[in-house]
Amino acid sequence: MKGPLLGTLVVGGLAALDATPVAQTLASQPLVTATLLGVLWGDWPTALAVGTVLQILAASTLPIGARTPEDYAVGGVAGAGVALMLASQAPYEHMRQASALVGVMTGMVAATLSVPVLRWQRRANEGLARWCESALRAGRESALSQAQWAAVALAFSLGLASCVVWLALGHWGAPFVERESLRLAGAWHLLQPLWLGFGFAQLLHAFVQRRLERAGVFAASLVGAWLVIVAGSP
Amino acid sequence: MSRRLNGATLFAIALRANLLQAAWNFERQQGLGWAHALAPALRRLYPERSERLERLAEHTAYFNTQPTLASIALGAAARLEEDRASGAGGDAASMARLKSALGSTLAALGDRLFWLTLRPFAASLGVLLAIAYPQHAWGAIALWCVYAVPHLALRFGGVGWGYAAGPGLLSGAFRERIESAMRWLAVLGCVVLGVALALALAPGGEPRPIAVQCALAGGLGLGLLTAQHARPSPTRWALALGILGLGMAWRNHG
Repeated sequence: MKGPLLGTLVVGGLAALDATPVAQTLASQPLVTATLLGVLWGDWPTALAVGTVLQILAASTLPIGARTPEDYAVGGVAGAGVALMLASQAPYEHMRQASALVGVMTGMVAATLSVPVLRWQRRANEGLARWCESALRAGRESALSQAQWAAVALAFSLGLASCVVWLALGHWGAPFVERESLRLAGAWHLLQPLWLGFGFAQLLHAFVQRRLERAGVFAASLVGAWLVIVAGSP
Repeated sequence: MSRRLNGATLFAIALRANLLQAAWNFERQQGLGWAHALAPALRRLYPERSERLERLAEHTAYFNTQPTLASIALGAAARLEEDRASGAGGDAASMARLKSALGSTLAALGDRLFWLTLRPFAASLGVLLAIAYPQHAWGAIALWCVYAVPHLALRFGGVGWGYAAGPGLLSGAFRERIESAMRWLAVLGCVVLGVALALALAPGGEPRPIAVQCALAGGLGLGLLTAQHARPSPTRWALALGILGLGMAWRNHG
Protein backbone atom coordinates (compact mmCIF):
# COMPACT_ATOMS: atom_id res chain seq x y z
CA MET A 1 0.00 0.00 0.00
CA LYS A 2 2.86 2.44 0.76
CA GLY A 3 4.15 2.47 -2.84
CA PRO A 4 0.82 3.35 -4.48
CA LEU A 5 0.19 5.96 -1.76
CA LEU A 6 3.50 7.72 -2.37
CA GLY A 7 2.94 7.47 -6.12
CA THR A 8 -0.47 9.07 -5.70
CA LEU A 9 1.04 12.02 -3.82
CA VAL A 10 3.66 12.57 -6.56
CA VAL A 11 0.95 12.40 -9.24
CA GLY A 12 -0.95 15.00 -7.20
CA GLY A 13 2.03 17.36 -7.23
CA LEU A 14 2.66 16.86 -10.95
CA ALA A 15 -1.03 17.38 -11.76
CA ALA A 16 -0.96 20.67 -9.85
CA LEU A 17 1.94 21.72 -12.10
CA ASP A 18 0.32 20.76 -15.40
CA ALA A 19 -2.96 22.49 -14.48
CA THR A 20 -1.62 26.05 -14.75
CA PRO A 21 2.09 26.65 -14.03
CA VAL A 22 3.81 24.23 -16.45
CA ALA A 23 2.91 23.17 -20.01
CA GLN A 24 -0.93 22.93 -19.55
CA THR A 25 -1.18 19.75 -21.69
CA LEU A 26 -4.32 18.39 -19.90
CA ALA A 27 -2.24 15.60 -18.33
CA SER A 28 -3.82 16.89 -15.12
CA GLN A 29 -7.36 16.04 -16.20
CA PRO A 30 -9.13 13.50 -13.92
CA LEU A 31 -9.43 10.77 -16.57
CA VAL A 32 -5.68 10.88 -17.24
CA THR A 33 -4.61 10.96 -13.60
CA ALA A 34 -7.19 8.31 -12.60
CA THR A 35 -5.86 6.03 -15.36
CA LEU A 36 -2.31 6.49 -14.02
CA LEU A 37 -3.49 5.73 -10.50
CA GLY A 38 -5.42 2.70 -11.77
CA VAL A 39 -2.11 1.32 -13.00
CA LEU A 40 -0.35 2.20 -9.72
CA TRP A 41 -3.00 0.54 -7.52
CA GLY A 42 -3.77 -2.28 -9.98
CA ASP A 43 -7.53 -1.56 -9.82
CA TRP A 44 -8.74 -0.52 -13.22
CA PRO A 45 -12.54 -0.57 -12.76
CA THR A 46 -12.57 1.68 -9.69
CA ALA A 47 -10.12 4.14 -11.21
CA LEU A 48 -12.08 4.51 -14.47
CA ALA A 49 -15.45 4.68 -12.71
CA VAL A 50 -14.27 7.66 -10.66
CA GLY A 51 -12.15 9.19 -13.44
CA THR A 52 -14.99 9.15 -15.98
CA VAL A 53 -17.48 10.98 -13.72
CA LEU A 54 -14.94 13.54 -12.46
CA GLN A 55 -13.69 14.09 -16.02
CA ILE A 56 -17.09 14.91 -17.35
CA LEU A 57 -17.59 17.46 -14.57
CA ALA A 58 -14.10 18.89 -14.98
CA ALA A 59 -14.65 19.39 -18.71
CA SER A 60 -17.44 21.83 -18.02
CA THR A 61 -15.31 23.85 -15.58
CA LEU A 62 -13.63 26.54 -17.68
CA PRO A 63 -10.59 28.68 -16.70
CA ILE A 64 -12.04 31.83 -18.30
CA GLY A 65 -12.58 35.31 -16.87
CA ALA A 66 -11.84 36.51 -13.35
CA ARG A 67 -13.51 33.59 -11.52
CA THR A 68 -11.09 31.01 -10.06
CA PRO A 69 -12.62 27.70 -11.22
CA GLU A 70 -12.74 24.48 -9.21
CA ASP A 71 -9.35 22.74 -9.24
CA TYR A 72 -9.96 19.31 -10.76
CA ALA A 73 -6.22 18.68 -11.06
CA VAL A 74 -6.09 18.15 -7.29
CA GLY A 75 -9.74 17.03 -7.13
CA GLY A 76 -9.16 14.28 -9.69
CA VAL A 77 -6.14 12.82 -7.89
CA ALA A 78 -7.72 13.17 -4.43
CA GLY A 79 -10.95 11.50 -5.58
CA ALA A 80 -9.37 8.60 -7.45
CA GLY A 81 -6.73 8.14 -4.73
CA VAL A 82 -9.28 7.94 -1.93
CA ALA A 83 -11.49 5.55 -3.91
CA LEU A 84 -8.60 3.24 -4.78
CA MET A 85 -7.28 3.27 -1.22
CA LEU A 86 -10.71 2.37 0.20
CA ALA A 87 -11.41 -0.27 -2.45
CA SER A 88 -8.05 -1.94 -1.76
CA GLN A 89 -9.08 -2.68 1.81
CA ALA A 90 -12.06 -4.98 1.06
CA PRO A 91 -12.30 -6.86 -2.27
CA TYR A 92 -16.14 -6.94 -2.55
CA GLU A 93 -18.03 -5.49 -5.51
CA HIS A 94 -20.34 -3.38 -3.36
CA MET A 95 -17.30 -2.06 -1.43
CA ARG A 96 -15.75 -1.04 -4.76
CA GLN A 97 -18.94 0.81 -5.73
CA ALA A 98 -19.15 2.46 -2.32
CA SER A 99 -15.50 3.53 -2.68
CA ALA A 100 -16.19 4.95 -6.14
CA LEU A 101 -19.04 7.05 -4.76
CA VAL A 102 -16.92 8.34 -1.87
CA GLY A 103 -14.12 9.04 -4.35
CA VAL A 104 -16.32 11.12 -6.65
CA MET A 105 -17.75 13.11 -3.74
CA THR A 106 -14.24 13.62 -2.33
CA GLY A 107 -13.01 14.75 -5.72
CA MET A 108 -15.74 17.36 -6.09
CA VAL A 109 -15.31 18.66 -2.53
CA ALA A 110 -11.52 18.76 -2.95
CA ALA A 111 -11.87 20.61 -6.27
CA THR A 112 -14.19 23.15 -4.62
CA LEU A 113 -12.16 23.64 -1.44
CA SER A 114 -8.95 24.02 -3.47
CA VAL A 115 -10.17 27.39 -4.79
CA PRO A 116 -9.12 29.38 -1.68
CA VAL A 117 -5.75 27.56 -1.78
CA LEU A 118 -5.33 28.60 -5.43
CA ARG A 119 -6.19 32.20 -4.52
CA TRP A 120 -3.63 32.18 -1.70
CA GLN A 121 -1.02 30.76 -4.11
CA ARG A 122 -1.75 33.52 -6.63
CA ARG A 123 -1.44 36.18 -3.91
CA ALA A 124 1.91 34.68 -2.96
CA ASN A 125 2.95 34.90 -6.62
CA GLU A 126 2.12 38.63 -6.57
CA GLY A 127 4.71 39.18 -3.87
CA LEU A 128 7.15 37.07 -5.85
CA ALA A 129 6.56 39.19 -8.97
CA ARG A 130 7.11 42.47 -7.12
CA TRP A 131 10.30 41.12 -5.52
CA CYS A 132 11.48 39.97 -8.96
CA GLU A 133 11.00 43.36 -10.62
CA SER A 134 12.83 45.23 -7.87
CA ALA A 135 15.65 42.66 -7.89
CA LEU A 136 15.97 43.04 -11.67
CA ARG A 137 16.15 46.83 -11.37
CA ALA A 138 18.76 46.35 -8.65
CA GLY A 139 20.88 44.42 -11.13
CA ARG A 140 20.17 40.75 -10.23
CA GLU A 141 19.47 39.14 -13.62
CA SER A 142 19.01 35.66 -12.08
CA ALA A 143 15.99 36.91 -10.09
CA LEU A 144 13.66 36.08 -12.98
CA SER A 145 14.53 32.38 -13.15
CA GLN A 146 14.63 32.13 -9.35
CA ALA A 147 11.10 33.60 -9.11
CA GLN A 148 9.77 31.23 -11.79
CA TRP A 149 11.23 28.10 -10.18
CA ALA A 150 10.11 29.21 -6.72
CA ALA A 151 6.55 29.48 -8.07
CA VAL A 152 6.82 26.01 -9.65
CA ALA A 153 8.05 24.54 -6.34
CA LEU A 154 5.19 26.24 -4.48
CA ALA A 155 2.58 24.83 -6.88
CA PHE A 156 4.00 21.28 -6.65
CA SER A 157 4.13 21.41 -2.85
CA LEU A 158 0.56 22.67 -2.54
CA GLY A 159 -0.72 19.94 -4.87
CA LEU A 160 1.11 17.25 -2.95
CA ALA A 161 0.08 18.63 0.46
CA SER A 162 -3.59 18.83 -0.61
CA CYS A 163 -3.54 15.16 -1.60
CA VAL A 164 -1.95 14.22 1.74
CA VAL A 165 -4.88 15.88 3.53
CA TRP A 166 -7.57 14.19 1.41
CA LEU A 167 -5.97 10.75 1.58
CA ALA A 168 -5.62 11.10 5.35
CA LEU A 169 -9.32 12.00 5.62
CA GLY A 170 -10.15 9.03 3.38
CA HIS A 171 -8.13 6.71 5.62
CA TRP A 172 -9.86 8.12 8.70
CA GLY A 173 -13.31 7.55 7.14
CA ALA A 174 -12.57 3.98 5.95
CA PRO A 175 -14.37 2.17 8.83
CA PHE A 176 -17.54 4.19 8.18
CA VAL A 177 -17.41 3.45 4.43
CA GLU A 178 -16.96 -0.26 5.07
CA ARG A 179 -19.83 -0.32 7.61
CA GLU A 180 -22.21 1.59 5.29
CA SER A 181 -20.96 0.09 2.01
CA LEU A 182 -24.36 -1.40 1.08
CA ARG A 183 -26.13 1.96 1.36
CA LEU A 184 -23.34 3.75 -0.45
CA ALA A 185 -23.33 1.15 -3.25
CA GLY A 186 -27.08 1.65 -3.59
CA ALA A 187 -26.60 5.37 -3.90
CA TRP A 188 -23.88 4.82 -6.52
CA HIS A 189 -26.30 2.90 -8.76
CA LEU A 190 -28.52 6.02 -8.89
CA LEU A 191 -25.90 8.76 -8.82
CA GLN A 192 -23.38 7.46 -11.37
CA PRO A 193 -25.84 7.64 -14.32
CA LEU A 194 -27.33 10.88 -12.96
CA TRP A 195 -23.90 12.51 -12.86
CA LEU A 196 -22.98 11.16 -16.31
CA GLY A 197 -26.19 12.54 -17.84
CA PHE A 198 -25.67 15.86 -16.06
CA GLY A 199 -22.09 16.09 -17.33
CA PHE A 200 -23.04 15.13 -20.89
CA ALA A 201 -25.51 18.02 -20.83
CA GLN A 202 -22.79 20.55 -19.94
CA LEU A 203 -20.64 19.36 -22.85
CA LEU A 204 -23.62 19.29 -25.19
CA HIS A 205 -24.39 22.88 -24.24
CA ALA A 206 -20.78 23.83 -25.08
CA PHE A 207 -21.01 22.22 -28.53
CA VAL A 208 -24.56 23.10 -29.60
CA GLN A 209 -24.27 26.87 -28.86
CA ARG A 210 -27.99 27.42 -29.64
CA ARG A 211 -27.65 25.94 -33.16
CA LEU A 212 -30.54 23.47 -33.63
CA GLU A 213 -28.84 21.59 -36.44
CA ARG A 214 -26.13 20.53 -34.04
CA ALA A 215 -28.77 19.30 -31.59
CA GLY A 216 -30.13 17.29 -34.52
CA VAL A 217 -26.69 15.81 -35.16
CA PHE A 218 -26.51 14.77 -31.51
CA ALA A 219 -29.96 13.15 -31.58
CA ALA A 220 -29.26 11.33 -34.83
CA SER A 221 -25.94 9.94 -33.58
CA LEU A 222 -27.55 8.91 -30.28
CA VAL A 223 -30.34 6.97 -32.00
CA GLY A 224 -28.06 5.58 -34.70
CA ALA A 225 -25.45 4.43 -32.19
CA TRP A 226 -28.09 2.92 -29.92
CA LEU A 227 -29.53 0.94 -32.83
CA VAL A 228 -26.11 -0.28 -33.90
CA ILE A 229 -25.11 -1.19 -30.33
CA VAL A 230 -28.37 -2.90 -29.33
CA ALA A 231 -29.65 -4.24 -32.66
CA GLY A 232 -26.17 -4.96 -33.98
CA SER A 233 -25.07 -7.11 -31.04
CA PRO A 234 -25.87 -10.88 -31.16
CA MET B 1 26.07 46.24 -36.23
CA SER B 2 22.42 45.32 -35.72
CA ARG B 3 21.88 41.94 -34.03
CA ARG B 4 19.22 39.56 -35.37
CA LEU B 5 17.46 36.68 -33.65
CA ASN B 6 18.09 33.14 -34.91
CA GLY B 7 16.15 29.88 -34.82
CA ALA B 8 17.83 28.71 -31.61
CA THR B 9 16.69 31.84 -29.79
CA LEU B 10 13.13 31.50 -31.06
CA PHE B 11 13.12 27.84 -29.94
CA ALA B 12 14.38 28.87 -26.48
CA ILE B 13 11.49 31.35 -26.26
CA ALA B 14 8.99 28.62 -27.21
CA LEU B 15 10.48 26.23 -24.63
CA ARG B 16 10.12 28.87 -21.92
CA ALA B 17 6.54 29.56 -23.02
CA ASN B 18 5.72 26.33 -21.15
CA LEU B 19 6.41 28.30 -17.92
CA LEU B 20 4.34 31.33 -19.02
CA GLN B 21 1.92 30.79 -16.12
CA ALA B 22 4.37 29.48 -13.51
CA ALA B 23 3.94 32.56 -11.32
CA TRP B 24 0.44 33.48 -12.51
CA ASN B 25 -1.06 36.07 -10.16
CA PHE B 26 -4.00 38.47 -10.04
CA GLU B 27 -1.93 41.64 -10.38
CA ARG B 28 0.42 40.93 -13.33
CA GLN B 29 -1.13 37.60 -14.45
CA GLN B 30 1.37 36.18 -16.99
CA GLY B 31 3.81 39.12 -16.63
CA LEU B 32 6.64 37.23 -14.99
CA GLY B 33 6.38 34.26 -17.33
CA TRP B 34 6.33 36.62 -20.31
CA ALA B 35 9.59 38.31 -19.27
CA HIS B 36 11.18 34.92 -18.51
CA ALA B 37 10.17 33.61 -21.95
CA LEU B 38 11.49 36.70 -23.78
CA ALA B 39 14.80 36.70 -21.85
CA PRO B 40 16.75 34.68 -24.46
CA ALA B 41 15.95 37.31 -27.12
CA LEU B 42 16.84 40.20 -24.82
CA ARG B 43 20.11 38.50 -23.88
CA ARG B 44 21.03 38.30 -27.58
CA LEU B 45 19.86 41.80 -28.53
CA TYR B 46 21.21 43.74 -25.54
CA PRO B 47 24.77 42.75 -24.62
CA GLU B 48 24.97 45.82 -22.37
CA ARG B 49 23.77 44.59 -18.95
CA SER B 50 21.98 47.63 -17.53
CA GLU B 51 19.95 48.15 -20.72
CA ARG B 52 19.05 44.45 -20.76
CA LEU B 53 17.90 44.49 -17.12
CA GLU B 54 15.80 47.60 -17.79
CA ARG B 55 14.05 45.82 -20.66
CA LEU B 56 13.49 42.68 -18.56
CA ALA B 57 11.95 44.70 -15.72
CA GLU B 58 9.73 46.52 -18.26
CA HIS B 59 8.43 43.18 -19.58
CA THR B 60 7.40 41.90 -16.12
CA ALA B 61 4.39 44.22 -16.31
CA TYR B 62 0.81 42.95 -16.68
CA PHE B 63 0.10 40.60 -19.58
CA ASN B 64 -2.61 38.02 -20.11
CA THR B 65 -3.84 35.91 -23.01
CA GLN B 66 -4.69 32.33 -23.81
CA PRO B 67 -1.51 30.42 -22.83
CA THR B 68 -1.15 28.43 -26.05
CA LEU B 69 -1.52 31.30 -28.52
CA ALA B 70 0.67 33.51 -26.31
CA SER B 71 3.56 32.18 -28.42
CA ILE B 72 2.41 34.27 -31.38
CA ALA B 73 2.54 37.41 -29.23
CA LEU B 74 5.99 36.40 -27.94
CA GLY B 75 7.27 36.06 -31.52
CA ALA B 76 5.85 39.42 -32.55
CA ALA B 77 7.30 41.10 -29.44
CA ALA B 78 10.71 39.55 -30.12
CA ARG B 79 10.57 41.04 -33.64
CA LEU B 80 9.73 44.50 -32.26
CA GLU B 81 12.55 44.24 -29.69
CA GLU B 82 14.88 43.42 -32.57
CA ASP B 83 13.81 46.63 -34.33
CA ARG B 84 14.18 48.63 -31.10
CA ALA B 85 17.68 47.28 -30.48
CA SER B 86 18.77 48.15 -34.02
CA GLY B 87 17.20 51.61 -33.85
CA ALA B 88 14.84 50.79 -36.71
CA GLY B 89 11.87 51.94 -34.66
CA GLY B 90 9.67 50.98 -31.77
CA ASP B 91 9.72 52.08 -28.15
CA ALA B 92 8.21 51.16 -24.78
CA ALA B 93 4.82 52.63 -25.77
CA SER B 94 4.59 50.75 -29.07
CA MET B 95 5.62 47.53 -27.30
CA ALA B 96 2.85 48.05 -24.73
CA ARG B 97 0.31 48.67 -27.54
CA LEU B 98 1.44 45.51 -29.38
CA LYS B 99 1.16 43.38 -26.23
CA SER B 100 -2.25 44.80 -25.38
CA ALA B 101 -3.70 44.36 -28.89
CA LEU B 102 -2.34 40.86 -29.40
CA GLY B 103 -3.18 39.79 -25.84
CA SER B 104 -6.88 40.51 -26.14
CA THR B 105 -7.22 39.27 -29.73
CA LEU B 106 -5.43 36.00 -29.03
CA ALA B 107 -7.41 35.53 -25.81
CA ALA B 108 -10.74 35.91 -27.62
CA LEU B 109 -9.70 33.45 -30.33
CA GLY B 110 -7.78 31.06 -28.11
CA ASP B 111 -10.36 30.80 -25.32
CA ARG B 112 -13.03 29.82 -27.81
CA LEU B 113 -10.76 27.30 -29.57
CA PHE B 114 -9.00 25.68 -26.60
CA TRP B 115 -11.27 26.10 -23.56
CA LEU B 116 -14.71 26.11 -25.18
CA THR B 117 -14.17 23.64 -28.03
CA LEU B 118 -11.00 21.52 -28.07
CA ARG B 119 -10.94 20.78 -24.34
CA PRO B 120 -14.59 19.66 -24.14
CA PHE B 121 -14.09 17.67 -27.34
CA ALA B 122 -11.00 15.91 -25.97
CA ALA B 123 -12.86 15.16 -22.74
CA SER B 124 -15.90 13.81 -24.60
CA LEU B 125 -13.75 11.53 -26.73
CA GLY B 126 -11.85 10.38 -23.66
CA VAL B 127 -15.05 9.59 -21.76
CA LEU B 128 -16.52 7.79 -24.81
CA LEU B 129 -13.46 5.52 -25.09
CA ALA B 130 -13.34 4.98 -21.32
CA ILE B 131 -16.98 3.78 -21.42
CA ALA B 132 -16.45 1.71 -24.57
CA TYR B 133 -13.16 0.11 -23.43
CA PRO B 134 -13.28 0.03 -19.62
CA GLN B 135 -10.32 -2.36 -19.43
CA HIS B 136 -7.93 -0.14 -21.40
CA ALA B 137 -6.28 3.28 -21.17
CA TRP B 138 -7.52 4.46 -24.58
CA GLY B 139 -9.69 7.13 -23.01
CA ALA B 140 -6.85 8.86 -21.18
CA ILE B 141 -4.47 8.48 -24.14
CA ALA B 142 -7.00 9.92 -26.61
CA LEU B 143 -7.89 12.81 -24.28
CA TRP B 144 -4.24 13.77 -23.83
CA CYS B 145 -3.22 13.41 -27.50
CA VAL B 146 -6.25 15.19 -29.00
CA TYR B 147 -5.50 18.24 -26.86
CA ALA B 148 -1.73 18.19 -26.28
CA VAL B 149 -0.63 17.66 -29.91
CA PRO B 150 -2.28 20.79 -31.37
CA HIS B 151 -1.55 22.70 -28.15
CA LEU B 152 2.20 21.99 -28.21
CA ALA B 153 2.38 22.39 -32.02
CA LEU B 154 0.88 25.89 -31.81
CA ARG B 155 2.99 26.74 -28.78
CA PHE B 156 6.27 25.81 -30.49
CA GLY B 157 5.25 26.92 -34.01
CA GLY B 158 3.57 30.13 -32.89
CA VAL B 159 6.77 31.93 -31.91
CA GLY B 160 8.18 31.62 -35.44
CA TRP B 161 4.87 32.71 -37.02
CA GLY B 162 4.57 35.72 -34.74
CA TYR B 163 8.18 36.67 -35.42
CA ALA B 164 7.73 36.33 -39.20
CA ALA B 165 4.23 37.75 -39.69
CA GLY B 166 3.60 39.88 -36.58
CA PRO B 167 0.05 41.04 -35.77
CA GLY B 168 -0.95 40.71 -39.44
CA LEU B 169 -1.09 36.94 -38.89
CA LEU B 170 -4.45 37.21 -37.16
CA SER B 171 -6.41 38.96 -39.89
CA GLY B 172 -5.99 36.48 -42.73
CA ALA B 173 -6.36 32.74 -43.47
CA PHE B 174 -5.04 31.76 -40.01
CA ARG B 175 -8.12 33.15 -38.27
CA GLU B 176 -10.50 31.60 -40.83
CA ARG B 177 -8.83 28.19 -40.40
CA ILE B 178 -9.28 28.42 -36.63
CA GLU B 179 -12.95 29.46 -36.96
CA SER B 180 -13.57 26.55 -39.35
CA ALA B 181 -11.80 24.11 -37.02
CA MET B 182 -14.01 25.26 -34.16
CA ARG B 183 -17.19 24.68 -36.17
CA TRP B 184 -16.13 21.16 -37.20
CA LEU B 185 -14.99 20.21 -33.70
CA ALA B 186 -18.33 21.32 -32.24
CA VAL B 187 -20.29 19.19 -34.74
CA LEU B 188 -17.96 16.22 -34.14
CA GLY B 189 -18.42 16.77 -30.43
CA CYS B 190 -22.19 16.36 -30.83
CA VAL B 191 -21.63 13.06 -32.64
CA VAL B 192 -19.19 11.80 -29.97
CA LEU B 193 -21.61 12.71 -27.19
CA GLY B 194 -24.48 10.95 -28.97
CA VAL B 195 -22.46 7.76 -29.25
CA ALA B 196 -21.20 8.06 -25.66
CA LEU B 197 -24.73 8.44 -24.32
CA ALA B 198 -25.92 5.45 -26.35
CA LEU B 199 -23.05 3.39 -24.90
CA ALA B 200 -23.92 4.57 -21.39
CA LEU B 201 -27.53 3.49 -21.97
CA ALA B 202 -26.64 0.07 -23.37
CA PRO B 203 -23.06 -0.97 -22.60
CA GLY B 204 -22.08 -4.04 -24.62
CA GLY B 205 -25.46 -4.05 -26.36
CA GLU B 206 -27.36 -4.86 -23.17
CA PRO B 207 -29.76 -1.99 -22.21
CA ARG B 208 -29.26 -0.99 -18.58
CA PRO B 209 -32.19 -1.23 -16.10
CA ILE B 210 -34.96 1.32 -16.71
CA ALA B 211 -34.15 3.12 -13.43
CA VAL B 212 -30.59 3.73 -14.60
CA GLN B 213 -31.76 4.94 -18.04
CA CYS B 214 -34.19 7.32 -16.31
CA ALA B 215 -31.39 8.61 -14.07
CA LEU B 216 -29.23 9.25 -17.16
CA ALA B 217 -32.10 11.03 -18.94
CA GLY B 218 -32.95 12.98 -15.79
CA GLY B 219 -29.35 14.08 -15.39
CA LEU B 220 -29.25 15.17 -19.04
CA GLY B 221 -32.43 17.19 -18.68
CA LEU B 222 -31.35 18.84 -15.44
CA GLY B 223 -27.94 19.55 -16.89
CA LEU B 224 -29.38 21.28 -19.96
CA LEU B 225 -31.52 23.46 -17.69
CA THR B 226 -28.69 24.44 -15.34
CA ALA B 227 -26.23 24.99 -18.20
CA GLN B 228 -28.15 28.13 -19.20
CA HIS B 229 -26.72 29.92 -16.12
CA ALA B 230 -23.05 30.18 -15.08
CA ARG B 231 -23.87 30.09 -11.33
CA PRO B 232 -24.13 27.86 -9.41
CA SER B 233 -21.30 26.01 -11.15
CA PRO B 234 -21.81 22.47 -12.51
CA THR B 235 -19.71 21.15 -9.61
CA ARG B 236 -22.03 22.75 -7.03
CA TRP B 237 -25.05 21.19 -8.78
CA ALA B 238 -23.33 17.79 -8.91
CA LEU B 239 -22.46 18.01 -5.21
CA ALA B 240 -26.09 18.82 -4.41
CA LEU B 241 -27.19 15.80 -6.45
CA GLY B 242 -24.72 13.68 -4.52
CA ILE B 243 -26.04 14.80 -1.16
CA LEU B 244 -29.62 14.24 -2.36
CA GLY B 245 -28.76 10.75 -3.58
CA LEU B 246 -27.08 9.85 -0.31
CA GLY B 247 -30.13 11.08 1.61
CA MET B 248 -32.41 8.87 -0.48
CA ALA B 249 -30.12 5.87 -0.03
CA TRP B 250 -30.13 6.31 3.75
CA ARG B 251 -33.90 6.61 3.82
CA ASN B 252 -34.53 3.64 1.53
CA HIS B 253 -32.16 1.31 3.36
CA GLY B 254 -33.85 2.27 6.69
